[in-house]
Amino acid sequence: MIDGAADYLAGGLIIVGALFALVASVGLLRLPDLYTRMHAASKAGTVGSCLMLIALAAHIGEPATALRALAGVVFFLLTAPISAHLLAKAAYSAGYRMWEGAVSDDLAETAAVAKKNGPSGTEG
Amino acid sequence: MMSGTAFLNISAIFALGVLTISFLLVVVRVVKGPSLPDRILALDMLVAVAIGFIAVLGVRSGFTLYVDVAIALGLVGFLATVAFARFVLSGGIDAKKEEAEEDRP
Amino acid sequence: MIPFRNELILALVWVAVSGSYSIPNLVFGFAVGWVVLFLVRDQIQATRAVIRPVALLLLIALFIKELFLSAFRVAKLVLSPRMDIKPGIFAYPLKVDRDFEITLLANLITLTPGTLSVDVSDDRRTLFIHGMDCSDLDQARRDIAQGFERRILEAFR
Repeated sequence: MIDGAADYLAGGLIIVGALFALVASVGLLRLPDLYTRMHAASKAGTVGSCLMLIALAAHIGEPATALRALAGVVFFLLTAPISAHLLAKAAYSAGYRMWEGAVSDDLAETAAVAKKNGPSGTEG
Repeated sequence: MMSGTAFLNISAIFALGVLTISFLLVVVRVVKGPSLPDRILALDMLVAVAIGFIAVLGVRSGFTLYVDVAIALGLVGFLATVAFARFVLSGGIDAKKEEAEEDRP
Repeated sequence: MIPFRNELILALVWVAVSGSYSIPNLVFGFAVGWVVLFLVRDQIQATRAVIRPVALLLLIALFIKELFLSAFRVAKLVLSPRMDIKPGIFAYPLKVDRDFEITLLANLITLTPGTLSVDVSDDRRTLFIHGMDCSDLDQARRDIAQGFERRILEAFR
C-alpha cells in the first residue's frame, strides 16, 4: 500500500513538473524581451526541475539517496536566482534595452548619473 | 483503478514526451536569439530541462546514480551561466552594435 | 551562539550529499568545511546574526507558498492568448542592511510572483527590481515590505 502511494506521488509530481518545464519553454518563446523571459525561466523552470527531483527522491525511498536528491533541490533553489540575477544585471549594464512596452525604469536614471560621474567615481 | 507501477510508467512516458517538446521549444529560442543574453538564458533553461530528463530517467530505471548526475549537471549549468554573465558584464559583445545588426532586415 | 556553527552546517551538508552517515565522514566534512572557510575568511563578513528557528520556519513556509504561486502565475500569463503585461524596473528602498540579508531578500524576490531583482545600488540602500506588472508600484513595494522583508527581520534580528 505504501509503495503504491509513493508511486502515485512520484507519478503526479513528474507530470506536474514536466508541465511546468513546458510552460517555462513556451514563456521563453512568447514573452517579448530578455527580462520578462527571465521570469518564466527562473520561476517555472526551477519549480519544474525541482518537482521532478522530488519525485525521484520519493520514488527511491531509501533515505540516504532521497536526502541527496533533496539536497540537490535546495542547491537548485539557491543557484537559480543567483544566475538569473547576475545575467539580468550583466545584460542591463551591457546596454540591452527593455521591451518598448515597459512602463517604468528607475534604474535608467541611476545608470545615467553613474555614467556621468563614472570615471571619477570608480577611481575614488 | 490502475496500479501504482502502471500509473508511474504512464506518467513517466508522458513526462518524457512533454520534456521533449519543451526541449525543442527552448532550442528554437537558442537559435532565434536574438541577443547573446537571450541565448545564455535559453541554455540555462536547457540545463533545467535536461535535469528533468535525468530525474524522469532515474525514476524509470531506478538507478540511484542519476541523482549525482543531476546534481553535477546543475552545478556545471550554474557555473556556465555565471561565466557567460561575467563575459557579458565585461563587455565581451557590444550590445548597441548587436541590436543594430538585429534591426537590419 | 554555537562555536563553529558554519563549519557544522557545511559538515551536515557534506554528510547529506555524500550519503554515508558515519562519524568519520562527519569529521571529514567538518575538516573540509573548516579549510574552505579558512580560505575565504577575508571575503566573508563576520555576522553576529541570531537565528530565530520559528521565524525562520515561517520564512521558509512563506517562500514555498510564494514559489508555487509564482510558478502558477507565470503559467497563467504564458498560456493566456493575449499577454497583457506592463513590465518595468522599479526601485525598492531597503530596510535590511547586512550583506547576507540583502542577498537573501534579493534571492527570495527573484523566485516570487512577478518580480526579479536586477541590481543593488552602490550604497546598498536600494534594490532595483524588474516587475512583470508595474501598474501599481506602491502596492508591489508594500507587498515586499510586509512579506519577505518583515519575515527576514523577524528571523535574524
